[in-house]
Amino acid sequence: MGDTELELSPARLEELQKSPSTSSTSSTSSLSLPSSPSSGPRALTSSSPSTSEGLPTSSPTLDVISEGVGELSLVIDTEVAKKACQEVLQKVKFLKPDGEVSSATSEPVLVNGTAHPESTNGGKPPKITTEEAEPVKSVRRRQKNNSSKQSWLLRLFESKLFDISMAISYLYNSKEPGVQAYIGNRLFSFRNEEVDFYLPQLLNMYIHMDEDVGDAIKPYVVHRCRQSINFSLQCAWLLGAYSSDMHISTQRYSRGTKLRKLILSDELKPSSQRIRREVPQPPPSCPPLLHHGQGMSEHSLSPSKRTHQRSKSDATVSISLSSNLKRTASNPKVETSQDEDLSSSSDSLELEAGTTNCAGNQYINKNCDKLVSYHCKSVPVRLTPQREFIKSLMGIGKRLATLPTKEQKTQRLISELSLLNHKLPARVWLPTAAFDHHVVRVPHTQAVVLNSKDKAPYLIYVEVLECENFETSSVPVRIPETRIRSTRSVENLPDCGITPDQRASSFSTVPNYDNDDEAWSVDDIGELQVELPEIHTNSCDNISQFSVDSITSQESKEPIFIAAGDIRRRLSEQLAHTPTTFRKDPEDPSAVALKEPWEEKVRRIREGSPYGHLPNWRLLSVIVKCGDDLRQELLAYQVLKQLQIIWEQERVPLWIKPYKILVISSDSGMIEPVVNAVSIHQVKKQSQLLLLDYFRQEHGNYTTEEFLTAQRNFVQSCAGYCLICYLLQVKDRHNGNILLDSEGHIIHIDFGFILSSSPRNLGFETSAFKLTSEFVDVMGGLDGDMFNYYKMLMLQGLIAARKHMEKVIQIVEIMQQGSQLPCFHGSSTIRNLKERFHMNLTEEQLQVLVEQMVDASMRSITTKLYDGFQYLTNGIM
Amino acid sequence: MAQTEKKTGLLRRTSSSKKPLKEKVVLMYEEIFAKEDPTKNNPRFWDELFLMKVNLEYLEGKLESLDGDEVMRVKDNINSLFHHCVQALSEEHQIKVVNALQTLCALFRGVHQKNKSATGFDIINMLMGFDKAELRMKELMESLDSLLCGDGSESLKSLCLKLLLCLVTVTDNISQNTILEYVMINSIFEAILQILSDVSSRSQHGYDSVVLLALLVNYRKYESVNPYIVKLSIVDDEPTLDGMGMVIHHALTDYNRQYKDKEEENQGGFFSTLTSMVGSMFIADADEKLSVQTNEAILLALYEAVHLNRNFITVLAQSHPEIDMSATPAAPVPASPTTPLGTTPPSLDMMNNPELPLDPNLQTSNLLITFLKYSSIIMQDTKDEHRLNSARLCLIILTCIAEDQYADAFLHDDNMNFRVNLHRMPMRHRKKAADKNVPSRPLVCAVLDLMVEFIVTHMMKEFPMDLYVRCIQIIHKLICYQKKCRVRLHYTWRDFWSALINLLKFLLSNETILLAKHNIFQLALQVVNLFNMFITYGDTFLPTPSSYDELYYEIIRMHQVFDNLYCMVLRVSTNAGQWKEPASKVTHALVNVRAIINHFNPKIESYAAVNHISQLSEDQVLEVVRSNYDTLTLKLQDGLDQFERYSEQPREAGFFKELVRSISLNVRKNVSLSTMSQDLLLKEFSSIS
Repeated sequence: MGDTELELSPARLEELQKSPSTSSTSSTSSLSLPSSPSSGPRALTSSSPSTSEGLPTSSPTLDVISEGVGELSLVIDTEVAKKACQEVLQKVKFLKPDGEVSSATSEPVLVNGTAHPESTNGGKPPKITTEEAEPVKSVRRRQKNNSSKQSWLLRLFESKLFDISMAISYLYNSKEPGVQAYIGNRLFSFRNEEVDFYLPQLLNMYIHMDEDVGDAIKPYVVHRCRQSINFSLQCAWLLGAYSSDMHISTQRYSRGTKLRKLILSDELKPSSQRIRREVPQPPPSCPPLLHHGQGMSEHSLSPSKRTHQRSKSDATVSISLSSNLKRTASNPKVETSQDEDLSSSSDSLELEAGTTNCAGNQYINKNCDKLVSYHCKSVPVRLTPQREFIKSLMGIGKRLATLPTKEQKTQRLISELSLLNHKLPARVWLPTAAFDHHVVRVPHTQAVVLNSKDKAPYLIYVEVLECENFETSSVPVRIPETRIRSTRSVENLPDCGITPDQRASSFSTVPNYDNDDEAWSVDDIGELQVELPEIHTNSCDNISQFSVDSITSQESKEPIFIAAGDIRRRLSEQLAHTPTTFRKDPEDPSAVALKEPWEEKVRRIREGSPYGHLPNWRLLSVIVKCGDDLRQELLAYQVLKQLQIIWEQERVPLWIKPYKILVISSDSGMIEPVVNAVSIHQVKKQSQLLLLDYFRQEHGNYTTEEFLTAQRNFVQSCAGYCLICYLLQVKDRHNGNILLDSEGHIIHIDFGFILSSSPRNLGFETSAFKLTSEFVDVMGGLDGDMFNYYKMLMLQGLIAARKHMEKVIQIVEIMQQGSQLPCFHGSSTIRNLKERFHMNLTEEQLQVLVEQMVDASMRSITTKLYDGFQYLTNGIM
Repeated sequence: MAQTEKKTGLLRRTSSSKKPLKEKVVLMYEEIFAKEDPTKNNPRFWDELFLMKVNLEYLEGKLESLDGDEVMRVKDNINSLFHHCVQALSEEHQIKVVNALQTLCALFRGVHQKNKSATGFDIINMLMGFDKAELRMKELMESLDSLLCGDGSESLKSLCLKLLLCLVTVTDNISQNTILEYVMINSIFEAILQILSDVSSRSQHGYDSVVLLALLVNYRKYESVNPYIVKLSIVDDEPTLDGMGMVIHHALTDYNRQYKDKEEENQGGFFSTLTSMVGSMFIADADEKLSVQTNEAILLALYEAVHLNRNFITVLAQSHPEIDMSATPAAPVPASPTTPLGTTPPSLDMMNNPELPLDPNLQTSNLLITFLKYSSIIMQDTKDEHRLNSARLCLIILTCIAEDQYADAFLHDDNMNFRVNLHRMPMRHRKKAADKNVPSRPLVCAVLDLMVEFIVTHMMKEFPMDLYVRCIQIIHKLICYQKKCRVRLHYTWRDFWSALINLLKFLLSNETILLAKHNIFQLALQVVNLFNMFITYGDTFLPTPSSYDELYYEIIRMHQVFDNLYCMVLRVSTNAGQWKEPASKVTHALVNVRAIINHFNPKIESYAAVNHISQLSEDQVLEVVRSNYDTLTLKLQDGLDQFERYSEQPREAGFFKELVRSISLNVRKNVSLSTMSQDLLLKEFSSIS
């Protein structure tokens, strides 16, 4: 982290403040300014390859582009910096009377083009670091009289220890506008991914907390929205979802709603137009400033990665812009070859793929129109395709909910998705994915409706093509479903020359089978040939055409004999060798689909897809939930993720699997499915086995390596989730909500009842977590080593979690603001949560506690009762 | 307003019925049929003519009544009329266009009715004149093309299509219609495709366009290169193909629903069945015949699409909610081609369409399912010539589908399960199966069901040998796919086997009658070879080991049939005669079946003897089978999984020629009717403009 402190005389500061026009130029220096020895050069070098990647050959354009890069990031920076500058300066003015104490040692520290003249008395640094939220408040209270405190705070803020978690915490706890503004600016210096994790918190604060916090956050949010469509949409969705708890009258005029409208109005587009206009004026004052070694802290503080990313994305914007402008200038069809040189490598690849296709031209044409309209004419559609995509997925969910049976739902789902396919590929993507891509196809027959009583959540698989940047890379051309077949389309024409006999023979002799399969993709041929049974290949002597002929003609030859027993044996062997699959059950269509190993599914779908041959083809899956509030799920995800990080950091081998959540509104969203996992309910229903026996069936006998690995995985995940269940008070733990993956891990899903809420308050599930005797059996029984290992892991995990309690609490606490979610019901949610970390206990006492909890959970009659209750009411085993 | 209009209409009718008063237009027609050039007296004659309402009956009648000499005399005037008709098509005034279209219709029809025996060249000469023909037709086709593709009035487009249909069907044998040569040169294929690809135009003109296309494709199909065939075979635009599928789907759905309504009407309880039974004793199924009206034209279109265009196969599986045609005539359709992907919201027409029916009782369907249901209705009764042809065409289409790898892939797709309620003929010895019990299965099960259903319901004196052969071929092709791709279908193979064995039994017991007409050995051979597939390759596609046991059980249980068959074919093959060769093939094919019977029967008998059981239970037999596999040796037969691919020429050429002829007749009949009703439309049209 760049914690450089740069000197800046008050005079220069004044200058900055007076002349906003120069401030724009002054901040230009920040780009190239080596703020810290490590980050500076990296920023430069890393931005250049990205541009050269896009333009492999043409050197003249490279110049233009590289110039553009500088200006792009430049302009955005100035803008943001300017705004931030003014805001913070105002506050500084307000602070100045107190802060005038600046002693000789004081270093005016520059933050986003502003100096906070703070004094640094040689105090006791550890004080602040050890201080928790409470003491900070007192600091805040006292700071008007005692500015030294604040300078300590500043010291902390600029130290390496200051991370995003602390920033959020101070933003939330501090009531001091200066501190808030400072942190608002500091947000720019964190990596995007870091801040993204706390996006729900940031936006919730923006919506529900006072003006100052909102003002501090807004510039950052706006800036990021300009940069990224994805971020814009995420913000808009979250803002909508978290505003929904407000009273309808206040909601309409609330800040959150306004910001949401602003984002959705799509006015926050990347200021590309302005860039173009400003291109001809290279900032002359750049070099001198550089010389002075004075830079804007925003960049001096920012780690290299950020600069790199921004410049990269902006560069690509300009690339596609320029190429698209050219496209409009002339006939797109003719332009394609030229475009290949101009656009990025992935772009040209797609175009190539398009030209090999018969329908290529037509689609390229369409494609170009689309691109052109995206970048040149109508930037308003920037967000539209994705919003419509999501909307149609939700629409499907709503319509499915009206159908009575699972079977009808499944059929309807398949047909609706096949219609959706007509609109693809498009500039749409799955927000849950970790890489940039375009959705090209939904293999509709693979989609399944999930088990739910009255809603209709469904799981879809989505074929995507990975790309550099979904906003700027061109959308892949559409390949018709029957791509592999088109080469043969004339084959069935009435063929005059061939006599029927010739025809018959040419099609019926064995070598011609290959001919027949010619049009199939290469994989297909291989597969089909492999699958020709051995007997067949032995016997195919090409002489015969039909069995009838063969028998007569073979009279002279030696007949081949086979044993009936062999056929029967092969049949049973082949069936035995197929991996254990679940039976089809119309009432539980998802079981079969989820049981199929992910790799196998990917391979299978890839084979059947017209896009499967592309190297950047990927398969993703997503659960679409309609009518469900996923905000609690998102909160749980954040807590799980945080705990996962903590445990990793503290090297506790607990295993948990936080799955990504996308909140779209207060009653809809998407979930990233856990692959290779089926619910324990499905396992038990399908296999009719005890869990331990199922483990043996799947992984082999007790002593095998495979079984032991699976068992260890089970124990580590079980311990992890037991802690989660205890800390978060996760309820409704029936077997339908616990998954078992192919490696033996258990994964808890459905965090609909956490913290202060529990299902129907029947008083079931009073134990700390769910630990059935079946689980214990898998761990090797109460006396086994693995069971002890399990308890040991729990203890270690709890100790580690306790150490970083604040990070966990903070996530929950901020989200409580203005929330009506059932998990925050009552006033003691946070206090109870804190208590469950048992800060006051010694490690020995903690160990006792863990033992007690395990004991109690195991003996808990209510767990069994709850399972029984679920079996009776919902048929969940 | 409307009322006054009606009144005037009435008045006009009465006035026109008065004999001495002739319509102005008739007077003008008379001028044309006079020798003189009509423009001599009235230079604006043609302009005025097309402002008059066309009197089709008169014009056609007049043309018909001309004899050879007269024709030659008025030829110039007729040529000139034709010429001005074509010119009027590009007029701005739409009334003129409408009248010109109708006049052209009358011209084509009148001339052809007159000259039934005349060669096509004479007709062309009479209408357009040899020297001008090419130019005139080019102009005509271009005008029609622009009318069809432009955004003019819908009724105009409809009239254009009627004209084309009229032109295509003026001769009984489409290939003798020489004028069509010009339609081949000046293709309107693109216009047809455009109509099909657009949602709104498809719902209005889809049917006519599809029928027109099907007919055009059949013009001199086997003699020359038909550009429509070539073009149809390479269409790969999904919206267009979908549109075509949609039109066919609607037509078939409509038929299915009509049939179902009728059926329900007839099944209104015991009393009504009784009365209808009594009634039918007197009236020879008057309304039964009505439902017989099969739609061969649409079926032919489906065939051509499936047969010629590989991309169309995907359309078959394109599922969509079953749409009630009567409720929403302008059915929601996927993807209109005009919206480029991505730029417009993807959900514009379909996703958020409030019109999308939300009726929970609606079953999701696709073209293939509808077609299967349709086939099941058609195949119930094949006595009537039309229905027999339709059933044959259905089976041919299924043959094409079963041969297609992609189609096989989705037929066997385990994730695409559907309930397909096939129609089953009510028969004495079985109850009508309850409709709702059909489980949801891969589509291939429905195809197999349909085949089994056909097999068991058509063992009659008028044995449809040809259909049986096709039926067995379809099954064979499907099983070949299953073997090749190792698809283990969970199907009730047992019923299937027993249906096949019953078929053999029927062939045996009616040997003498059938042999007089058919080569029953070919069919018997196919059936036996299906069994050979199961016996030798069962390991690759049977779902469970026990199903292999059941196969043996079934063969052993019905060994009498196989024994008798063997005796019969042995007898025939030892006698010299025309059946010697085919019969000997069957004897060879039976080698494994006989091996099984001869191997297990003694074992079973000895088991019964040892255990002192007179009648073995199924389980006991299966037990014997299971324990005695290893001592049984089978002979491997070659080429069981090879099949002759379907080819239309020359085997089916005759059938299609006849089919197209009958379709032409039918379409001509219907077009003339609807053109008349076009008058009404026209009236409405004239009041608007």
